Amino acid sequence: MTATPIQPGIAPAQPTPRRAGRRGRRSDGRAASGFLAPGGLLLGLFVVGPFIAAIVLSLTNWRLVSPLPTQWVGLENYRAIIADSQFWIAIRNNLTFAVLVVPLQTILALAMAVLVNRPVRGRVVIRTIYFLPVVTVMTAAAVIWRLLLTPDGAVNSVLGTITFGALEPNWLTSTTAAMPAVVLVSIWQGAGFQMVILLAALQGVPSDLYEAASIDGATRWQTFRHITVPGIRNALIFVVTVTTILAFRLYDQVVVLPTPAGGPRDATRTMMLEMVQTGFGRQLIGRASAIAVLFFVIVLALTALQRALFRESP
Amino acid sequence: MKTTTRIGALMTAIAITAAGCGSDSAPSAEEPAADPTPTTEQAGPDTTDDDESVAAEDVTADGSTTGDAAACDGEIDEPVTVTAWNHAGQGNEQDLMTEQIADFNAGPGAELGVTVAVEFLPDGTYVETVQSAAATGDLPDALDFDGPFLYNYAWADNLIPIDSCVPDDVERNLLPSILAQGTYDGELYSVGTFESGLGIYASRSVLEENDIRIPTSPRDAWSAQEFDEILRTLQAAGFEHPLDIKWYYGGGATAEWYTYGFSPVIQSAGADLIDRSDYRSADGIVNSPEAVAALELFQQWAEDGLIDLESTDDLPFQEGTVPLSWVGHWLYGPYEEALGDDLVVVPLPDFGEGSVTGQGSWNWGISSTAEEPDAVWAFYEFLLSDEQQLRWSSTIGAPPATQSAAASSELFGPGGDLEIYIDQLSTSSVARPQTPAYPAITESFGAAFANILLGADVQSELDRVADEIEQDLVANDFYPATN
Amino acid sequence: MRRRGSLALSAVMLALAAFSLFPLLIALAGAFKDDAFVFAEAGSLRSVIPEPFVGLENFRDVERRTDLFRPFANSVIITTSIVVVGAVVNSLFGYALARLRFRGRTLLVALIASLIIIPFEALAIPLLLLFAEIDWLDSYRVQILPFIANPFFIYLFYTFFLDMPVELEEAAKVDGAGPVRVFVSVIAPLARPAYATAAILTFLFSWGQLLWPTIVTRSAEVRPLPLGLAVFQTSPPVQWGDIMAFVSLMTIPTVVIFISFQRHFVEGIASQGIKG
Repeated sequence: MTATPIQPGIAPAQPTPRRAGRRGRRSDGRAASGFLAPGGLLLGLFVVGPFIAAIVLSLTNWRLVSPLPTQWVGLENYRAIIADSQFWIAIRNNLTFAVLVVPLQTILALAMAVLVNRPVRGRVVIRTIYFLPVVTVMTAAAVIWRLLLTPDGAVNSVLGTITFGALEPNWLTSTTAAMPAVVLVSIWQGAGFQMVILLAALQGVPSDLYEAASIDGATRWQTFRHITVPGIRNALIFVVTVTTILAFRLYDQVVVLPTPAGGPRDATRTMMLEMVQTGFGRQLIGRASAIAVLFFVIVLALTALQRALFRESP
Repeated sequence: MKTTTRIGALMTAIAITAAGCGSDSAPSAEEPAADPTPTTEQAGPDTTDDDESVAAEDVTADGSTTGDAAACDGEIDEPVTVTAWNHAGQGNEQDLMTEQIADFNAGPGAELGVTVAVEFLPDGTYVETVQSAAATGDLPDALDFDGPFLYNYAWADNLIPIDSCVPDDVERNLLPSILAQGTYDGELYSVGTFESGLGIYASRSVLEENDIRIPTSPRDAWSAQEFDEILRTLQAAGFEHPLDIKWYYGGGATAEWYTYGFSPVIQSAGADLIDRSDYRSADGIVNSPEAVAALELFQQWAEDGLIDLESTDDLPFQEGTVPLSWVGHWLYGPYEEALGDDLVVVPLPDFGEGSVTGQGSWNWGISSTAEEPDAVWAFYEFLLSDEQQLRWSSTIGAPPATQSAAASSELFGPGGDLEIYIDQLSTSSVARPQTPAYPAITESFGAAFANILLGADVQSELDRVADEIEQDLVANDFYPATN
Repeated sequence: MRRRGSLALSAVMLALAAFSLFPLLIALAGAFKDDAFVFAEAGSLRSVIPEPFVGLENFRDVERRTDLFRPFANSVIITTSIVVVGAVVNSLFGYALARLRFRGRTLLVALIASLIIIPFEALAIPLLLLFAEIDWLDSYRVQILPFIANPFFIYLFYTFFLDMPVELEEAAKVDGAGPVRVFVSVIAPLARPAYATAAILTFLFSWGQLLWPTIVTRSAEVRPLPLGLAVFQTSPPVQWGDIMAFVSLMTIPTVVIFISFQRHFVEGIASQGIKG
């Protein structure tokens, strides 16, 4: 649905319950089944079941509204998708988006967190303001940004002033500017969420470390580089992982923002858009399901890869 | 029965997989769309509540009887409530529809024992809602839908043919374009209660100042070359981007405006969206040299800045900064308010084979779950009466759907400001291709048109359109007749 | 030197605040502005000044075109149900994963983590057919039930509980309390920040739902607020003032909820974040 930050991300690691052993050897089997039952039942019915159905459907040529009989087509849908240049364009766009959004948004969020972590007046108000875009529903936010990104809109006013009119792209219809526009809006909406996570981590960095650095005469930058960043390493990894998954779920922004949906010359076509257009637009549920399965596999692999590259410190 | 069939579809799909059926046998998974419920409801209660494979075979059998069983018999047996869906957009359409329904319920409806209960669904998500309802067999008795989707619903038996409902005199009175739009596979499935049309709105004084000829009928439309010169003349006269094409309509999930508004360009050049002789191929039609040449010319205009690709509303034309506006009838009201007597409507340019305009708009059909089609039809006939037609067209500014209303309309009748729309509709308008592939066609062509204006290679874009249409046809076995 | 640095940092801080706030101010100002001017002034600072001021006219237009009260009430009912029931279900699940011992626990954690990736769009059609099957379409429950159990929030509770000191539970257990008693009387009260976090995020997600209600609801009695926006997004001419009024109406409740939950919420994220 919405690609708002509330969308789950794979939170890091599955640490074993460190202290579980102390509670004794007995199994809590009965209690556990009681605790797990409601959630398990609902997940089974509304997530696992439908996803298995989607896997099955991906092997058929099922259409949404059609009098034709459904047939078992094996891996034909997968073959067709892999042969479809649009799908690769979508993957490429998703990757581009992730490569742009993940670092930019993380840096911005970190800057926000560091700024409001200082003992300055009004920081609670500022913190709230930074978080306000997060609580704006994406469909609503996209409508506002459509207005801001028009050729004569606010964004170009600012850009034009800074660059003396050299840079005033038509954001929503330019093949080169459409993706940056989507990135801009996504960052605007998402940065506040990560800021809160990073802010929490910042507050957990022991203050005596800063004092020691200050006594040693470290510069701001040195302090930041050698104390702050290592101190919030785990939170940074969490933020990066979550943002990466969100980046692949990109959908709302690309539907509402550029012209046409999917962007000028497919500049902002994404896997999610491809799936929804295939399923609802072309009514090819079988094929859309295959896209969903591929999406799952790809993102799972990427997340695993990412986790292998950046392991948390214990 | 309603319930078993649908999960049956899902379960059967799973069963097929489990059993590993051969790829070309397996006609056993029943489509949720082809819900046999309506037929059985007509025929009697729950006769097909058996196992899946039997139900599946009934789809075809039932399909053939649907037309007869659910047709009009000219009688409304007992007081009936007709459930209806209507798309709710901005503007005053919804207000007027509400009033019309109230008037129907109080007047002819009350006499016949028919009450229409309408549900307005948001325009922006209407198609998705209707499609999912079609997929789950939950359509209301009466619904309106945008022209393009008719053939899909008709093909999938979500709608019933309404020939038996429409009295001869009413049918004869409908504009030919309305009949053309409503017909699929030789049968009438829907009636539009208003028409549509395209034209170029212009400021008469600007044209005259620049010595530009003002065409008065599609027969003497500007040629494409002439139009090219006109645009350049106007640009030289100081208009930065002289032609507004409502580029901003194209945002959002579908690009229907681009297809509706600009397939006339290739049609006027002698090409089309698909081969209409059998609707089985688009290659060599939509990407023919004629289509490519026409769109290359259009692309040139965009490249030379002759087309306004920046506006996001109707103000440039209303304020006089853009002198030409390529759009439909629906802006007559606001434009007339802004320009007054200076406003003139001329036909779209002729790209070689005569000026062509689009046609067709929202139209009403009767769903196959409707128990009393006669009652639904009574409502539609009310909407088609002269009085309601004139009421609608004068409020909404849309061309009427009937000849008698068109003739007596101040705007669209002889000598009216918008007479040209009726003229076009009877001489030079082209219906959307009457094929269930239309949603795929419009998605593909609309995106290609946008890309072309943004500088993409015309030939390869149109080749892609041909290819995607082909893929859709193949994916649906070329939409074989199911009746 | 340091002082100048601080000033520069404060300037950046304010600039970022402007970046965050500006679009929302435009929406708010636009809601009280003459339609034609919302767009025309989108590029200037005048865009945040509600002039020409039209009072509540845009809101009245919204009210006229789309019912407001009913969808609003529906959204509140649906969202509140998901938030409340979801908090219970997900926290129970998360607690069992973190603290109870049973076979297959590690596997279940991995499964929950990978379920997070599945986008709802991929499940929509099978779910639609499922609910059509049991005749639940066009109801509140069809809009509530699928969203109660959520792998992300389960994971969030799981990581939170993992980090909680185990001593308090031990004490309760020594007193002879079973897992249920321990959870209700010891764990849940301590987990307030986690609940607050889950609540605000669930609220936000549920409040903005568009695709699902589009395909499963048909009647005004159960339709939620965001569908109303679709009325304004098509059918030119675009009335920007009305759109902004609607957007404001949609956004204000989430802002109010956030501000009132803010303290708990930030703490909740804190534990989650550090854990990460």
